[in-house]
Amino acid sequence: MTTLTMNEFDLPVRPGHRDDYLVDVTDHSLGRNLPQRVAARLWAPMLAMALMAFLAAVVLAAVRAGLVSDADPADAATIARLGHITAGVMFIGFASVFSAITFAIARILGEFRSGGGLIQEAAGVEVETLRMPATAKAMIAGMMLAMMLILVPVALHFVAAGSVVGSAEVDLLRAEQWFDRLEAVRRVGVSVYLASIALGLATVVRVLRFQTVRIREVAGSRSVG
Amino acid sequence: MARTIQWISRPEPGTDHRAPTRHVQAGLGLVGIGVAAVLIAAVAGYGGADQIAADPAAAGSTRAWTFGLTVTGFATIKTAIAIILVGIVLGLWRRVDGVKHALRVLKPAGRTPTTTGPFESAFGSGTATASPPRPLAIHTMAKVLWLPMLVMGGMAVAAGLTAAIVASGATGDALRQASAWSQGLTFLGETFLLSGISLLLGTILAGLREGGAEVQADVGVTVRTLDMPASAKAFIALMAVGMMIGIAQFALYVNLATNLAADPAAFSAWAAWLGPFREAGLGILLSGIVLALYTISRVLGFQFSRIRDIVATGA
Repeated sequence: MTTLTMNEFDLPVRPGHRDDYLVDVTDHSLGRNLPQRVAARLWAPMLAMALMAFLAAVVLAAVRAGLVSDADPADAATIARLGHITAGVMFIGFASVFSAITFAIARILGEFRSGGGLIQEAAGVEVETLRMPATAKAMIAGMMLAMMLILVPVALHFVAAGSVVGSAEVDLLRAEQWFDRLEAVRRVGVSVYLASIALGLATVVRVLRFQTVRIREVAGSRSVG
Repeated sequence: MARTIQWISRPEPGTDHRAPTRHVQAGLGLVGIGVAAVLIAAVAGYGGADQIAADPAAAGSTRAWTFGLTVTGFATIKTAIAIILVGIVLGLWRRVDGVKHALRVLKPAGRTPTTTGPFESAFGSGTATASPPRPLAIHTMAKVLWLPMLVMGGMAVAAGLTAAIVASGATGDALRQASAWSQGLTFLGETFLLSGISLLLGTILAGLREGGAEVQADVGVTVRTLDMPASAKAFIALMAVGMMIGIAQFALYVNLATNLAADPAAFSAWAAWLGPFREAGLGILLSGIVLALYTISRVLGFQFSRIRDIVATGA
């Protein structure tokens, strides 16, 4: 019995019967899925935000370095505050640029999904589209986790900067301790982001292999026909 | 004509196109090792914050080795990404062979006249030629340099980790000296690793250009190739700026280690801006990688539309 379902494009989708890949079968190309469409729109704003944040962080660091160089004890609290703010702004940049990379990979996957379907459609055969592989789902989950692991510490950097009220030794010590703790969490966030990028690229490898197999099948069915 | 050094061999004709490459398994295994290293360092670093008041020397030691281990973890994951990218390059060549095989069957019979010259498409401007165009110099460079960059990156990070371990057992001037070497070397290594990844993306773009032209020439249609898009030019510029920052920060850290380690006030003032400066350098390299990936998606979009035209119209 063939099960028919409708997808987000209202195209009737039949489950494929292959041993090697899980696929959906349609008469037309399914086009990009929702995450791929979102990614295609968001990669550029994320990149722009990243570049602005990197520039702002370098300017803040230069201001802080000037104060450190002056060695005025009255500036100790401002130096501690600026340290937190600089790290916060810098890692807004890193969260943005890693998101932009993940979105750009999703855009590539979108091109494979829609383009592969269009070629099968033009060849006049059933369109087989690879279902979202586990690595792609892990990429999306990893990206969300990584974003939280970076943006929560970023928010707490700003809170810590606001909580440095004076140059008392206890205040400065607490600011330093918070910096080290937040840095540890941010570093885990960066590693999870990099891991999700690797998962996205692993998905590209799988899609490439499926499309290579499929295009040979399409040619084979035509030559037999 | 001089042959270009090829670090990645194109799969032999007749290679089983269904067989998976081992690059993904190897890459994801390395990713696990890298994330584990970062987690160990993070747990130690988080706990080390409590030592700052009671035992500043122990806190400094923890900071030194956790920094080295963290960056080594990042470097391991970036190496893993490079290995998976090599798998993509090989997959693209298998796809080229598959598409060539398919188009010989799918292209409608009959010859269409060759029209050469510039053209416009939804994916940007391009040039139509009767035969495959010559490879771009930047692509040739990317194919040669990606592996040396990765190797140099790995060596610099390993040297930086060694300096971090030395710093974790040092105090005073020696601590500042080893710490400066550690930071400069690890970030130089990260710069080379990201540059290697950027050059691998350039190798993918080269493969798409050569492979796309090869497929069209094989079935005797006009060879349509996209001109280098603005995003690719911006990618090259960002990569160059990022690399220059990576090398400059290393030179400045060498200056810190050799000339300023005995002057804590000057050392602190320099370190205050050098840290964010070196991070911004890596950020710029990553921004270039975004543009390279975007360029790859545009080229893929163009190639799918071109193959579809050949299948539908034979031209």
